[in-house]
Amino acid sequence: MNFSIMFDKEKCKGCTNCMKRCPTQAIRLIDGKAFINSTKCIHCGECIKICPYSAYTPEPIEWYEEMHYSSYKYKIAIPGTPLYGQFPKKIDICRVQNAILKLGFDYVYDASWAAEIVAKAIAKKIGKEKMIRPLISANCPAAVRLIKNRYPSLMDNLILLKEPMEIGAMMARERAKKLYNLKDDEIGVFYISPCPAKLLAVTDPIGNYKPSVDWVIPLNTIYGDLYREVLSQDDKTCSYPSTSGIKWAVSGGQSESAGLNNYIAVNGMENIIQILDEIENGRLNDVDYVEALACVQGCVGGTFNVVNPFVASSNIKNIISCADYECINPDLDRFEELYESGVLKYRLMEEDNPNNFNMKEAIEKSEKIKEITDLLPGLDCGSCGAPTCSAHAEDVYSNQSKLYDCVVLRANEKR
Amino acid sequence: MTENFLKRYSFNIVANDFINAGKASSAIKGNLKSMGINAHIVRRIAIISYEAEINIVIHSIGGQLHCDLYHDKIVITSTDVGPGINDIEMAMTEGFSTAPESVRELGFGAGMGLPNMKKYSDDFKITSGSKGTEIVITIFL
Repeated sequence: MNFSIMFDKEKCKGCTNCMKRCPTQAIRLIDGKAFINSTKCIHCGECIKICPYSAYTPEPIEWYEEMHYSSYKYKIAIPGTPLYGQFPKKIDICRVQNAILKLGFDYVYDASWAAEIVAKAIAKKIGKEKMIRPLISANCPAAVRLIKNRYPSLMDNLILLKEPMEIGAMMARERAKKLYNLKDDEIGVFYISPCPAKLLAVTDPIGNYKPSVDWVIPLNTIYGDLYREVLSQDDKTCSYPSTSGIKWAVSGGQSESAGLNNYIAVNGMENIIQILDEIENGRLNDVDYVEALACVQGCVGGTFNVVNPFVASSNIKNIISCADYECINPDLDRFEELYESGVLKYRLMEEDNPNNFNMKEAIEKSEKIKEITDLLPGLDCGSCGAPTCSAHAEDVYSNQSKLYDCVVLRANEKR
Repeated sequence: MTENFLKRYSFNIVANDFINAGKASSAIKGNLKSMGINAHIVRRIAIISYEAEINIVIHSIGGQLHCDLYHDKIVITSTDVGPGINDIEMAMTEGFSTAPESVRELGFGAGMGLPNMKKYSDDFKITSGSKGTEIVITIFL
């Protein structure tokens, strides 16, 4: 599995901010430096956002080299919907796609077009399948990983529709193959992404399909070039995003674009965790759809964005309310055909689930951990290198750290 | 209790205490989850114990929630002191509720408690008299 977050040990001061913020407790301090356990990491980017010393950075992606020096005969860009929130309100939004083409792409398939199609599929699936409630959006890869790691019983609630990124890439590939008689490996699909989690969705999807996106371009790495192009041109010859699909950039937009009434739009990791807890306790089964997005305000809050999430969200709403154009969404009239053919849906990968649970051993283990926890001060100060006292107790139990890594315990001993 | 029995977790539930309502079931869920019990089973127990806990808070004058762990099963027992249930068959009907308006305004008392508990259990036993109610629910691993 590729890892989308890079860490600079030199910059890390061991301040524990990231460790305490990490929603899956994937971070520990070892010898005063942070360390991410890659099997627990859900690539949500919280550590990138919180680190005061910029020790975490998104992994540099060699998309630029791939784009310019690769053997792709046809290069497609899929701009994620948050991109449109990154420009001042006075800019005519039709310039954005043009600017992307000027940077060397052959074709732009807007993620908002695909989002409009997925929104229709959401509405249809909710109308048809009434057995499981609430259905949970599968669009945010970080939220999906959180569910997989911490709420596995809720995997059954995932709506299992491919995300607009994937549908857009699929549609654009299909079009290029048909029009120019190209083979799959002659086409390169580049997604302009608001967050590192999308990379994970491409390299390690939860569904049983081969992703159609080849490269993920962090939005902030292409933004400078793009912005210059947007400012320098004045032609109005290209296409617009879908005003329905572009709503996906902001929390609540999926449900709005699907025309739902009975939904919960929750954003930000801590808030998602509360809602997932409620679903797990069986309390929200009178709700049709839960749109859970890891970042505050939704995808406009992703770490790769340039503009403040609240400003970007206002920009997106401005585009929608001022839209005086007609968007030509190339595949919208094929919706019924696409839905029935099943290409919008997927199934989960089969997981090996060894059934060797032993209640007696499990109780013994949990009692030993409780014994250790009771020795600890319960301050959750993080000085031992674990995010909470109970996490430290578990680490001690599994021999990953020592009881006396606890500074409070050591100080009390000396007295 | 059989030889199969391994461990009991017990919680006191205070009547009308909506500030702490849900904490016992949440503790049970957290415990079972960290023990590595199958997520689907934990979810069923979470739903059952939450409903049982809320029932004690709303309808009784106090009670206990027990979670008993066996080699091959988990048993949730709810015992309360209170008026008991007049008509058990009626109480088992979806949507039937005797919860007062003040409680419903808080979002509780939709009449799904007992039916939900039965739905998610492998075995469901309820006895009720004028002094209180006991519910014993079994889930096999």
